[in-house]
Amino acid sequence: MKITIGLINGMITAATPILLAALGGTLTFYAGIFNIAMEGMMLAGAFFAVIGSYYFGSWVMGILFAVLASLVMVAIFILFSVVLKTDEFVTGIGLNLFALGSTTYLLRQIFKVKGAFSGPGIVSVPNYDLPLIKDIPLAGEILSGQNLIVYLTLLITIWVAYLVFKTRFGLRLRAAGYNATCLDISGVPSDHMRIWSLILCGVLCGLAGAYLSLGYVTLFSENMSAGRGWISLAAVILVNGNPWGIALISLLFGFSDGLGLFLQRVLPSQFTSMVPYVATLIALFVYSVRRKEAAI
Amino acid sequence: MQQKIINGLVGVLVAMLLGAGVMLVQGYQPLETYTALFNYSLGNWYSIATTLRNSVPLILTGLSASVAFASGPVNLGQPGQLVMGALAATIGGLYLDLPAPLMLPVLIFLALVGGALWSGVAALLRYWFNMSEFITTLMLNMIADFFTYWAISYPFFDKSAYSPMTPPINKSGWLPEFGEFNSSVLIMVMAFVVVWFIFTRSLAGYEWRISGQNGLFARLGGVEIDRNYMWVMLLTGALAGLAGGLVVLAGPHRFIKDIGANYAWDGVMIAMVANNGIVATLLYGLFFAVLQTGALGMELITAVPSELIMVIQAVIVLVVVAGRGYLEILMNKLAERRKMQERAL
Repeated sequence: MKITIGLINGMITAATPILLAALGGTLTFYAGIFNIAMEGMMLAGAFFAVIGSYYFGSWVMGILFAVLASLVMVAIFILFSVVLKTDEFVTGIGLNLFALGSTTYLLRQIFKVKGAFSGPGIVSVPNYDLPLIKDIPLAGEILSGQNLIVYLTLLITIWVAYLVFKTRFGLRLRAAGYNATCLDISGVPSDHMRIWSLILCGVLCGLAGAYLSLGYVTLFSENMSAGRGWISLAAVILVNGNPWGIALISLLFGFSDGLGLFLQRVLPSQFTSMVPYVATLIALFVYSVRRKEAAI
Repeated sequence: MQQKIINGLVGVLVAMLLGAGVMLVQGYQPLETYTALFNYSLGNWYSIATTLRNSVPLILTGLSASVAFASGPVNLGQPGQLVMGALAATIGGLYLDLPAPLMLPVLIFLALVGGALWSGVAALLRYWFNMSEFITTLMLNMIADFFTYWAISYPFFDKSAYSPMTPPINKSGWLPEFGEFNSSVLIMVMAFVVVWFIFTRSLAGYEWRISGQNGLFARLGGVEIDRNYMWVMLLTGALAGLAGGLVVLAGPHRFIKDIGANYAWDGVMIAMVANNGIVATLLYGLFFAVLQTGALGMELITAVPSELIMVIQAVIVLVVVAGRGYLEILMNKLAERRKMQERAL
């Protein structure tokens, strides 16, 4: 029983950052932006979360700094891809490498370390017990005592699904991706929708970054996002942006991550670390086979 | 042509000015720092040879990305293909012991095959199941990373070492050095000439280029898209694999953990600033090698962390690429205005 609960909790832990970044990615996906900069936004968020938390001794400042850093990345993205009309793919790759370079540089410059920084001064985001639910025998151990950001993520998933499909903003957002000219002519500048979707994406990726460095660990290491931004991009593409589908896929990835840890008893750790990436390939495979069948 | 050069120079200058700004904010001397940087990478024959040697993996992965992007396939698998090529060459070097004139071509061939196999996996996934190579190559990068890490930790682990690495390969597989000049540079130049010839002077290269510019036009013109796609993926994978192989054969002569460094992503950046041009890739590759080699000197002499170069590189990419689009609009406007004036006269 303990193993099952551990596996489920591991799944939630691993799924949270991917889900947050993918929800951000889906907003830009609907707005018609080929946004591959989630990786970089997350990485910048993770680093500045540590800065905020370390220097102000509070996780609130950590989250605030993470979101701000991610928004700076977004501002650069907007400057290049929306204002200067640079290719989105190139901008994204450039930004990811900019985030990698600048966090590595600042890690060295500010904390005088190479590789990773951890210390007692970093305040982590707290876990919360839910008052009544925590007494339920099984569900309590899973639903209660999770990290604040995990609860936030749950709310954000519902909010994003509502925002995209039930509000005027969501309609315009989807219109910007579906037919930008049409939206422009009807009096709503599609560039504004793009900018808003990017800003929201930045906030969510910042949160994802904060969860990486202040959620279940309290440290920052070089290239900490380790491809999670790419996996979240794959998740968005796999379900055509549907927020509920993204939540499901993220949990599947989380599960494969936990499974990898579990398999470490029989396989070398290098192979178990591959599991989430292999799972992404399998998911892509299933997706393409299904699409082929649908076409026939 | 002229416009390209202006754009490149302006981009580099802007990025370096921004870098100087960062240094000033942190209380370093920009002029002194840059002098140290270029002195260390270009100051004398010894440093020029080192810079050339460091440019080998950058230019080869850059060519791989340039050819792929210009022909259509979004092959972002250079990091994985590089380490797989390096691993193949290392394994060959451990178990084969031929005379050097035979050994070197065999090991280089193994590196090419190692890289091509790994990009071939992505190509086949696309061919059979229509899975986009953009995501599959990225996932295969991570898998190759862990796979090579496993290979050097268990089956090919050097038992006398404290960290994961293989034993050194047999001496006959070491690339000859002439003073500081490593012959890996010659092999890179050969590869460059071959790629340049295939891409710009052969029928296959022509088909690749028009497929990249307009897939529909190419298909209607009778180009076999699938077959070309396969060849491009295999060639670009082989190039990245060659980069990995040469790093092993020229440098540590063994596979050390993280041997791929950031070469492959730097190569992708180089392809992007070069706008996928073959010659431009060579030039930017050399320039990035100058920056990276000089970064060490900069750190030694002025205490500016060498990681600053990573930031400057990314800024160069963004500024040059954005400038390219912007400059084009500006030039067109100027040309139009000139025409209007001529008409008014």
